[in-house]
Amino acid sequence: MMRLTSLAAKWNAYARKPFPLLVRLSIDRIVHGSNASEDEELNINFGVVLALLAIPGGFASIFLFDKYGSFLQWLRGQTNFDPLAAAFPDEYFFIVLSMAVAGGVAVWWWDSIFPDRRDFHNLVHLPVPMSKIFLANSVAVLILTSVCAIDVNGASAILFPFIVGGAQPTFSFMARFAGVHALVVVLASIFSFFAVFATAGLLMLVLPYPLFRRVSLLVRSALAALLLAMLSTSFAVPDMIRDLPRSPHSPVRLLPSAWFVGFCQLLRGRFDPALAEIGHLALIALLCVCAVAVITYALAYRRCFVRLPELADVPRGNVGTWTSVVYRVFDFFIFRTPFQRAGYRFAVNTVLRNEAHAMCTGGFLSLGAVFASQEMVSALSGKGVPGFPTAHLLSIPLILGYCLLLGIRFVFDIPAYIQANWIFRFLLDEHAREAGALARRIMLCFVACILLAALPIYVYFWGWLIAVLHGSLVAIWLLLLTETLLVGFSKVPFTCTYPPFHPAAVVYVIACALGYFGFTVAIPVLEAKALADPVAEAAFLAVTLGAWYAVHRLRTNSVEVNRQLIFEDAPANHFELLNLSDGGL
Amino acid sequence: MLQAIALTKYYASIPAVESVTFHLTAGQILGCLGPNGSGKSTTVKMITGLLEPSRGRVLYRGEDIRKDLVGFRKNLGYVPEEPNLYPYLSGREYLEMVGILRGIPQPRLGRKIDSLLTLLSLYPSRHSAIASYSKGMRQRVLLIAALLDDPEVLVLDEPLSGLDVSSALILKNLIRALGEQGKAIFYCSHVLEVVERVCSHVLILRKGTVVASGPTGEIQKRIGHSSLEGTFHHLVEDVNPDKVTRDILEVIRAA
Repeated sequence: MMRLTSLAAKWNAYARKPFPLLVRLSIDRIVHGSNASEDEELNINFGVVLALLAIPGGFASIFLFDKYGSFLQWLRGQTNFDPLAAAFPDEYFFIVLSMAVAGGVAVWWWDSIFPDRRDFHNLVHLPVPMSKIFLANSVAVLILTSVCAIDVNGASAILFPFIVGGAQPTFSFMARFAGVHALVVVLASIFSFFAVFATAGLLMLVLPYPLFRRVSLLVRSALAALLLAMLSTSFAVPDMIRDLPRSPHSPVRLLPSAWFVGFCQLLRGRFDPALAEIGHLALIALLCVCAVAVITYALAYRRCFVRLPELADVPRGNVGTWTSVVYRVFDFFIFRTPFQRAGYRFAVNTVLRNEAHAMCTGGFLSLGAVFASQEMVSALSGKGVPGFPTAHLLSIPLILGYCLLLGIRFVFDIPAYIQANWIFRFLLDEHAREAGALARRIMLCFVACILLAALPIYVYFWGWLIAVLHGSLVAIWLLLLTETLLVGFSKVPFTCTYPPFHPAAVVYVIACALGYFGFTVAIPVLEAKALADPVAEAAFLAVTLGAWYAVHRLRTNSVEVNRQLIFEDAPANHFELLNLSDGGL
Repeated sequence: MLQAIALTKYYASIPAVESVTFHLTAGQILGCLGPNGSGKSTTVKMITGLLEPSRGRVLYRGEDIRKDLVGFRKNLGYVPEEPNLYPYLSGREYLEMVGILRGIPQPRLGRKIDSLLTLLSLYPSRHSAIASYSKGMRQRVLLIAALLDDPEVLVLDEPLSGLDVSSALILKNLIRALGEQGKAIFYCSHVLEVVERVCSHVLILRKGTVVASGPTGEIQKRIGHSSLEGTFHHLVEDVNPDKVTRDILEVIRAA
């Protein structure tokens, strides 16, 4: 007990020294985020984040009980069960999962990995050498990378080997399996984290700082899409890796996740030459990525952080000169009232320039791009473009539209610098009934871009008639979806406080997932059948119009209170005090 | 004590500050004045060592500050223009961090922080997150951070910004008292009357160059204006305020 107390006292004394203090400060910055406005930021406790990161691995492991349980195998009549062979696709899944989650965390922390302007203003004028700040930040990044790698894989590193090796007669099998699994998934996480980190460092090094700030959002969205795409490979790729000896030029060799599964098989002693080759690649790639991350970080620190005040004082170029022409055109055709014109400009600038909003919208769009590219690959793989569009090909604009509309509706509820909303409170009449119309028009303007991009492609491959029919159907369905998403919406986007947690939130999430399948699977299948017969197509169009009209009526008949402009999303009262004793009797 | 010799800074090829020279002696309070974009902030950043000059040098006790920046900053207290603090730390935590980084030993640091927090009316909210502080409270935290280690040189960039009347009065008196104690103070501000009352010397910048420097009274006498406002206007302003006022009114009234 005495020893513990003295250890705690020693630790306390050490934690109050300058270097550990700087490390703690860097960790705080990375975890809390940088540059973001401090008040409206959705500040989630780091413990909660760690718990959320650990959940996927834990749940995925639990779901595998069914596959590896010896009793269930006996009931199924499975004899000669080879756990290592059976674990191969699951191992791949865990590697991909750990890479996606760790990479996702690095993408999220993209801006705070490097010391920022706030650090500069608070630390640099103090008697602390720059090299100490640099070292402290490096240590903070290493600590957080390790914590994340262990956290993301902790649950699966314990549960998965236990599930796979539980039925085996010897403990050593389980211990060996657990050791290899833990090592590989942690290394895969570190690879993914440092790959994102190296990308940020390289861009910071190569691009002028203002340009780096501008392209950051695009790159982060692209990386998020890439990670999601990698996660989606977990179903098809394990079989392709098994086929590697027969197809040595398979593109699977280029996948980092395949390298790590190869490395895993190498450690287990279950490999062929092709697998061994990509297994070695994992280690080389890990070393390269770490080296690039360290070098670019050091150089970028020298180039950007040390020169931060100069970068701050460089005059910025004009923004928004060309957009004024676009706004004028839109004002003439779409946004007719001052409320709509002002709201549209504000909303578009927020979605495109505010980091949180742009990231969220980009994330949803990236998700759509991943799903759409999967549909395209499965429609075209080995067959070329068919003479008549299949359901897969018809679903592409619907997928993109669904994800984009859902994303925009989601970000409408995220406030942007809530202290600044006084101008809307001050100028707008709360009984104005234009919030819904404004939101609908903004959403449709965004999805119109998808439609305009898709139309020429359909015309090129399948002619005008199909392009126009499909375009009209997609437009009506997207309009219908917009109306559905805006039922009860009565805000100027981004000006209202965060909505309170709604007990039905889980139901909404399930509805969105089911809606996705209805919208992007059922509709294209029906449409593909209808396109073959003009009468069926006309009937389908009529049904769609009917559905749109029903939702439109629902919205226009909604209770008056739902249509008043709100700036604070207060939870609904679950009961009402009637005060019957006063005048009620 | 602190000497700027022909300080020049170019951003790309655009000159922000050109050949700024001054000498700040112990006990002197030098007010730095200038309109927006005159190079005040760039000058402050260069004399605090935050920004490397394109040309020229800053000397502290005859030595170039860039030779031993850490040593120079041990003797420097700095209040930046923007109270850009860590919002998730409490006021006390922030000051403790500054004190530790300045190498102040622990028992003395704690006592000093608590006393200064009490004197500047921040003690009741010392454990609240800085995110909940008003601008004036943040400014007071910055002042305490600057004064914590009893520095020889103080660089104050708009230190009165956001302060209430009594805090501003305390600070003005404090600056004068610190000057009397032999501290060298570089005071940057837009508020001419405060500079006139507090500073013994002024440095007036216009478009990155020094247009006047010296004892406040002497400059006023030389220009022939009885107030610093008149002198400042005479030296740096290109516009006629009365005419601009009339023009604004016309634009507002226009259909």
